[in-house]
Amino acid sequence: MPPTLSRRIVAALALVTLALYPALASAQEPARIALETYELPNGLQVILAPDHSAQVVAVDVWYHVGSRNEVPGRTGFAHLFEHMMFQGSANVAKSQHFQLVERAGGNLNGSTAEDKTNYYNVLPSNRLNLGLWLEADRMRSLAITDENFSNQREAVKEERRLRVDNQPYTGALFEGVYAITDSATCFPYAHSVIGSMDDLNAAETKDVQAFFDQYYVPNNATLTLTGDFEPADAKALINQYFGSIPRGNEPPEVTCNQAFNTGLIRKVWPDDKANLPGVVIAYRIPDYAHADTPALELLGTILGQGESSRMNQAVVREQKLAQFSLTAANLFGSRRGPGLVLTLAVANQNVEVDALEAAILSEFVKIREGGVTEAELTKAQNLYRTGLITQQQQALVRAEALQSANLFLGDPEAVNTHWKRYTSVTVNDIKRVAQQYFRDDNALILLITPEVAK
Amino acid sequence: MTRLLMGSAMALAVLAVPVQAQEFPKTPPAPGPLTPAAFPPFQETTLPNGLKILVVESHKQPVVSISLSFPAGAAYEPAGKEGLADMVASLLTKGAGDRTAEQIAATVEGAGGSLSASGGNDFLRVSATTLTPKLDLAFELLADVVMRPTFPESEIELLRTQTLSSLQVELSQPESIASRAFFKAIYGDHPYGRQATPTSVRSITRQDLVTFHGTRIAPSGSLLVLAGDINLDQARRLAIRAFRGWLGTPPTVRRPTIPNRESTELLLVHRPGSVQSNILVGNLTYGPTDERQYAATVANRILGGGTDSRLFLILREEKSWTYGAYSSLARRMDRGYFIATAEVRTEVTDSALKELLVQVNRIRSEPVSAEELEAARGALVGSYPLSTETADQVAGAVATSRLYGLPEDYVQTYRVKLGAVAAEDLRAAAESTIRPERSVMVVVGDGAKIYDGIKDIAPIRIVNAEGEPLTPADLAPKTEALDFDPALVVARRDSFAIMVQGNALGHLTSSVERTATGVRYIESTRLGGFVEQDSEILMSPDLTVQSVKQTGTVQGQATSIVVTFADGRAKGEATTPTPEGMKTVTIDTTIAEGVIDDNLIQALLPALAWGPEAKWTFTTFSSSSGETTSLTLAVSATESVTTPSGTTEAYRAELTGAPQVSSFWVSVAAPHRLLKIAIAGTPIEMVRITP
Repeated sequence: MPPTLSRRIVAALALVTLALYPALASAQEPARIALETYELPNGLQVILAPDHSAQVVAVDVWYHVGSRNEVPGRTGFAHLFEHMMFQGSANVAKSQHFQLVERAGGNLNGSTAEDKTNYYNVLPSNRLNLGLWLEADRMRSLAITDENFSNQREAVKEERRLRVDNQPYTGALFEGVYAITDSATCFPYAHSVIGSMDDLNAAETKDVQAFFDQYYVPNNATLTLTGDFEPADAKALINQYFGSIPRGNEPPEVTCNQAFNTGLIRKVWPDDKANLPGVVIAYRIPDYAHADTPALELLGTILGQGESSRMNQAVVREQKLAQFSLTAANLFGSRRGPGLVLTLAVANQNVEVDALEAAILSEFVKIREGGVTEAELTKAQNLYRTGLITQQQQALVRAEALQSANLFLGDPEAVNTHWKRYTSVTVNDIKRVAQQYFRDDNALILLITPEVAK
Repeated sequence: MTRLLMGSAMALAVLAVPVQAQEFPKTPPAPGPLTPAAFPPFQETTLPNGLKILVVESHKQPVVSISLSFPAGAAYEPAGKEGLADMVASLLTKGAGDRTAEQIAATVEGAGGSLSASGGNDFLRVSATTLTPKLDLAFELLADVVMRPTFPESEIELLRTQTLSSLQVELSQPESIASRAFFKAIYGDHPYGRQATPTSVRSITRQDLVTFHGTRIAPSGSLLVLAGDINLDQARRLAIRAFRGWLGTPPTVRRPTIPNRESTELLLVHRPGSVQSNILVGNLTYGPTDERQYAATVANRILGGGTDSRLFLILREEKSWTYGAYSSLARRMDRGYFIATAEVRTEVTDSALKELLVQVNRIRSEPVSAEELEAARGALVGSYPLSTETADQVAGAVATSRLYGLPEDYVQTYRVKLGAVAAEDLRAAAESTIRPERSVMVVVGDGAKIYDGIKDIAPIRIVNAEGEPLTPADLAPKTEALDFDPALVVARRDSFAIMVQGNALGHLTSSVERTATGVRYIESTRLGGFVEQDSEILMSPDLTVQSVKQTGTVQGQATSIVVTFADGRAKGEATTPTPEGMKTVTIDTTIAEGVIDDNLIQALLPALAWGPEAKWTFTTFSSSSGETTSLTLAVSATESVTTPSGTTEAYRAELTGAPQVSSFWVSVAAPHRLLKIAIAGTPIEMVRITP
């Protein structure tokens, strides 16, 4: 079933365990992705990037809706809705989507984030039509019934219990950090994707229908095909399956006015599942399209990914204050609104939370004052490039990269150029962004204390 | 924002798409034609030293995946040295040429690549990935690890410890017991029938490793596969330079032929206390080049290859006897096998085995439906390109086909041949390859409960988990009391830190109190927010258990046990976590004299008569399941144990018979204090804090 949050946790853990790539500059460039874009009369955006190197196609639909579109009292709704998308549609019975794709030899999944909800199907290329038909059927005729809704609401509540409420540190990471955003001026980014239990309980079937009508319309979605297909054939199928789905109303604009440097937020986060204290320190950064993002992401790598990262060397290995630490920019995905660089560290036995907090802050101070070395920057750039090159061999990874470039950078073609912004970052850029964003009055600090929540 | 930028290009493109008034189909569209598989072409060459090179070009991305395989799998291990090939593979990258294990890892990661080695049944494979500009370095490292491994003693001992620990876990798991028994039964004296044991792993010396490497890891007969951004000329140049001076041919090894069984046999592996039975039914099949493999593969898919196959649909979905039931066909150089498996509740063992046999017979005798055939071919044919999407995956597929000597065009024609399998080919292949009349059936479970139900299915042989023969009379549960000195159970308070990979993540405290009415044992566990457990056991002055109360939470779910013992019966209720979720059982059962509650083992350790050869077999009652189990606690070594209060000589004893094997360290000097507990196969240790 669509395990949205689990994937985010897995992604976070993958970052923690990333291997170390020492600094040997490599001039290798990722291969160019040839692509074509168009729009159906009903507003559905289409991105086609054929590549015949393997007989595999990825059919990847992004609906431009996520938790940022939720309103007060209905948090968690975008994710709950993602579950509904696997409950059947006019011509597809419940769980038949899974069966049809698996019988075709393919695989599929979906996930929800702040800015988007994605649904993908990876198939052998002669079953492109199946992937398109399944996505079109649920876009045109999702089966929204009381029964489907109530059992998926229970499933989501169970997911919340299992993955957030019953795990140590996840409450701070998945919910606490949203306090960095002011809910009065920017509600869209000031609440969690999983949503509150009360809001989930309050949701009704009619809300689901309204959400579908509002956001699951062709003019709020992008369909990306990558892999082994002929564009002319694909266009004919897309036209046949999606062409007659009526255009919907334009979704309402999302507004967010989040100021920087509004004063330090520092609070205790009681965690009845944690056995040892922990610290989360987050700094506000701009939206993904901002010119400072590459430097901030590379800085996140230098600070907190791999054995030789700053936080690991100082806080874990030398000072032995933490069992592990992790630092990254936009850990759970890109945003069109304010993002954050975040550090999470879990203390060792008998380490006071204040000592851990001070040690982490001092690493941010060191970066701010002394910047990073050329070798550190080169290592982070190599890490970025190696990841890009090896991953883009897969059709699904290319499809997601195109969708991401389209939504967050405004142009799928950016997939072929955006990486240069990472390789051209200098140590001066790093120092500048550190000084600009890693300020105490721009930070949120959560002191996770292993107390029983009252 | 997005749409504005894309606007003009789209407007033009829209005009190019003819608007058709086609209806939306009400049923899933039929598959498109199966285009001839455009498997990347490959080129081959052989170096003068006999090393075969195979290149799969793909220049899309600047990355090359490399594999170097040798006929050096477990099938080449000398008898008594089982586990040797795996150890050699693991050690190749743990010191080679001038580099230590750490230096190899640092160099590989510095180049943004990967390097690893693994052992299989027939082959040993070294695998690497590298960006194109780092090919020189990748070849240098590859040559070092295959030609110049150093086998440092420290790495050997580290690996031996890890191997023994994982083996200990394996030997306690019913699925491993079942498969080991199965392989022994179908392959007999052939090396495929032998497996690593603690004895064989302990007997492997550095010289064994060096000798195996020296004889088996040679260029002639090995295969170097390169896939990705490289061509044959480059590959040849790089290989000639990196592997210069490397010569040799591994000796031909004559292995016993693997005879067919003339009849079927049912092997019952008695595992007292099992609440589930593991069922395996299988037989020998064919060599790797047999043409029946395509039709047999489709037959297997319909029988048990997936979650929409007959075994799964009937045994799980329809009957709810099991969480999963599957079948598979395995390829082996000398001869492969067919196997069908199910893990079922004890009380339905006989029904499940019979139904499994019905389905195995049905796939041989009845034609499959057109719909089943299409679904099975679709899944198999369709998933093949997904499994060969990247250069790395392509390299793996090509290497396999070449190593097993499959037809030259195997990878290109595999999909087409599977797609062309007709219902009658399928039935004929199933009839001649799936052979219940020559099969071995293995059932691992509580013989006392399942013997009567299965004994007439086939000629039956009973063994224990160690493979020693038993008679039906041996199956009856026996009660053995733990011999301890009640006077040594004195008032005390102990405290342990629960360590996970060296980090303290929790604690366990226990205390023994003498009360007016007898003895009270209290134990409290806290583990990283995941587990909380408090127990209270009340005993009479002679230490007969009167009641067990336990409350706690595991991952947020409340657990509780309340059981009272009186007049030879245990009564109460237990709610505890199981792999299928929380489960509540009502307990009302006879308890024979001398049976102790399993929560008490720790409390009684100081009261045992310890010695270097000490061994106790005793029956315990589990208040959480209501089952009785025979456990064995045996001293295996005398070791020094370091705790916060100092270093102490200790007896190390293993507790076996429970699903989880535990090791206990108890001070040699009296009074015997429990110093440390380790749970095999996990990074968890409990270390005494109190002096």
